[in-house]
Amino acid sequence: MTNDILLQYTKFIAGYAAHLMGCGIHTSRVIRNTRRIGESLNFDLQISVFQKSMILTMQDKETQKTFSEVVEIPALPISFEHNSELSALSWEAVDKRLPFDVLNDKYTKIISAPRIDPLFVLLLVGFANASFCKLFGGDWMSMVIVFSATIAGFFVRMQMLKKHINHYIIFIVSSFTASLLASTSLIFDITSDIAIATSVLYLIPGVPLINGVIDIVEGHTLTGISRLTNAFLLIVCVAIGLSITLLLVHDRLL
Amino acid sequence: MEIFWRTIAYYNNSTWMFQVVIVLTGILLTILLIRKPTQQLKLGMKIYLIGLNIWIAVVYYSIYCRERDFNNVLSVFWGIMALIWIGDAIKGHTTFNRTHKHDFLAYLLMLMPFLYPVASLIRGLSFPEMTSPVMPCSVAVFTIGLLLLFSERVNMFIVLFLCHWSIIAISKTYFFDIPEDFLLASASVPALYLFFKEYFVRDLHKDTKPKAKYINLLLILLCVIIGILLTITLLMALRK
Repeated sequence: MTNDILLQYTKFIAGYAAHLMGCGIHTSRVIRNTRRIGESLNFDLQISVFQKSMILTMQDKETQKTFSEVVEIPALPISFEHNSELSALSWEAVDKRLPFDVLNDKYTKIISAPRIDPLFVLLLVGFANASFCKLFGGDWMSMVIVFSATIAGFFVRMQMLKKHINHYIIFIVSSFTASLLASTSLIFDITSDIAIATSVLYLIPGVPLINGVIDIVEGHTLTGISRLTNAFLLIVCVAIGLSITLLLVHDRLL
Repeated sequence: MEIFWRTIAYYNNSTWMFQVVIVLTGILLTILLIRKPTQQLKLGMKIYLIGLNIWIAVVYYSIYCRERDFNNVLSVFWGIMALIWIGDAIKGHTTFNRTHKHDFLAYLLMLMPFLYPVASLIRGLSFPEMTSPVMPCSVAVFTIGLLLLFSERVNMFIVLFLCHWSIIAISKTYFFDIPEDFLLASASVPALYLFFKEYFVRDLHKDTKPKAKYINLLLILLCVIIGILLTITLLMALRK
């Protein structure tokens, strides 16, 4: 195997691992999947994962040649679809001993598959938050108001993301918008407190929180704490947005 | 409910002259914008809408509806709408260019503010304790109609705020016994469907999941659900 081919393999595997990390998969799973891919190509892999980057060292089992690659972890949207399909790909690669070209084609196909329609996401997020409202004891009118408030807040978030605005600011503004619109429920005799509280739930970073805990439990303390810190900061931003609304409409926080 | 109608009477009694001026200005600007849509007129209409939203936020809610609980919530709501229009006037997002696609519905919506007082009179109310063309729901329905008439590019933030206001209107019909708001709620459902459809149609060339036709069906389904909700509320209000 020539050095060029080895380098090509290394870059592919590094890209695969970085994509998995970026789309919200816990560290041990990324390492397992990446090692499996490496094994299918006859490599031994050592991976060090940091908050923003990862280092891969690959050793060809036949020639004992070693290559290292440092790759930046991209900020990608959370994708359970990529999570499951890229994991399945790693199993397929090792079970069927897929040639590199086939593997690369399948990987490219998965990551360039069509995105879920933004309007579809918008409506589903609205329904999800309205359901949260019901789960917390909200009445039907509160649910309808939360649905509309969530759609507006999420739309603001989508637009600001398109403009690459700082994501902490995005969370503050989205939280403020959703909670302000939900606070219009105060004028009716309905469960408005539940409506306001649940209107911002779509912003809670559930995946980083879960991954952070899993990472710490499984010994990847550095990435775990990093993920939890990020999630905590986002929750603080949500709280700031909600607090602005409460100060405006209630003159107090509670 | 008594407070609700009392504040309306207080507002109408004190501001009817200003309301006449606002309505006449609106009519004049709309006619000019339809006939000769110059850049100055487009900006003029935006300034008018900024003023109209500030009027509702400050004069209607902060001053005359002071008696109502949480009047400040709605004041902030309309204040933010005014801020969005200011942003729009600076950035020029809303083009106020016509597409002639939904003219009938747009004209119907723009006439609605005048149907509000007529509806009040039909159900036996009299001045000043009746709806008027310069009240939040009338302003909302006029804005939706205007945006639909000039729907080449609209500000979706404003549309979403108006959509939220329409949803509140459904509740108001039931809670405050104001069936006139059915006009806003029922007329805005198809308008909002069109806004959403046209806004997201721009992305339809992109390959997305699920396919565009299913998304469109979902939107229609949602509007049908809102329609059913509206009918149920209307029936409940009639039963009262």
